[in-house]
Amino acid sequence: MGRKLLTGMLLAVLCPFFYLQAFRGVSENARPKTHMVQIVRMQFIPAVLSVNKGDSVVFLNKDLVNHNATERTAGKWQSPTLRPGDSWRMVVTSSADYYCTFHPGMKGKLEVARATAKTRKKK
Amino acid sequence: MKRSKTIIARATGLLLCVLISGFTVLAQHTGQQGNTQKQGTQKQGKSKSTQQKSAHQNMKLTDPEIASVAVVANQIDIDHARLAQEKTQNTEVLNFAQTMITDHQAVIDQATALVKKLNVTPKENQLSRKLQTDSENSMKMLRAKSGSAFDQAYIDHEVTYHKAVISTVENTLIPNAKNAELKALLQNILPSLRAHLEHAQMLKTQYAKE
Ligand SMILES: [Cu+2]
Repeated sequence: MGRKLLTGMLLAVLCPFFYLQAFRGVSENARPKTHMVQIVRMQFIPAVLSVNKGDSVVFLNKDLVNHNATERTAGKWQSPTLRPGDSWRMVVTSSADYYCTFHPGMKGKLEVARATAKTRKKK
Repeated sequence: MKRSKTIIARATGLLLCVLISGFTVLAQHTGQQGNTQKQGTQKQGKSKSTQQKSAHQNMKLTDPEIASVAVVANQIDIDHARLAQEKTQNTEVLNFAQTMITDHQAVIDQATALVKKLNVTPKENQLSRKLQTDSENSMKMLRAKSGSAFDQAYIDHEVTYHKAVISTVENTLIPNAKNAELKALLQNILPSLRAHLEHAQMLKTQYAKE
């Protein structure tokens, strides 16, 4: 009983959010955004970033040492070596797992939102 | 109903037991590896090394002494990496060594700049001298090896060395540092030391598989 009520309430709260999100998707497609990934204390922050196709991502190295961002599976793209204070901008065309070749433990992910307003309605 | 609950409880208990004992074995194993490595690099006898170990846990260091230890500790890893560049044929070991040189040099540069700004002269001390002596021993041990035996010994050294340096920075240097900027720099280098340790451990696991 209590669980059902809770789920209902949760859905009620989230529904308008999804609805708005669908419209945001449309407007964002029209105007590409710029996102920031900061490199701090040997980490990409945020480690997972959702973007729309055509958006830009700026990698900014705020750490003590050099880093880079390299697409993992086929090395499809790679930033130049980013010294402390350096930044690099890239236009995102597809989802990607990336890492730093200097520090293989440093990992990040770019997720291109697949769901547009149309596919959302189907759901 | 009641019976199934007890079975679940028992199964959970068993699972926990297995997990805990697994971790204990793992911890002991890594501990042992560290010990054998130390015995290999310093043959000065057990009693002396235990004395030194307990001595440097409650060691008092001034800021100029901490600066010296920081520079020496980073320089030692650069020296080992340069030796690896001369000796190894393995691309991954080569890449690791290059990262060690670039990163530890960056830390030395930061420390040197800070020391200059604070108008402090790094001062040699018991701990920095001990690091030097240990380093001379491990360099000698590594120079005598070649091929994949060298690669393994070098990576083993890097695992042990980074563990030791992390512990020194955390337990001796940071607690003793008086200047706030020096303390902050020491705290800032910990994540890269941990990343290096992780990287070395990753290479070590690869060797274990081969
Ligand atoms: Cu990196």
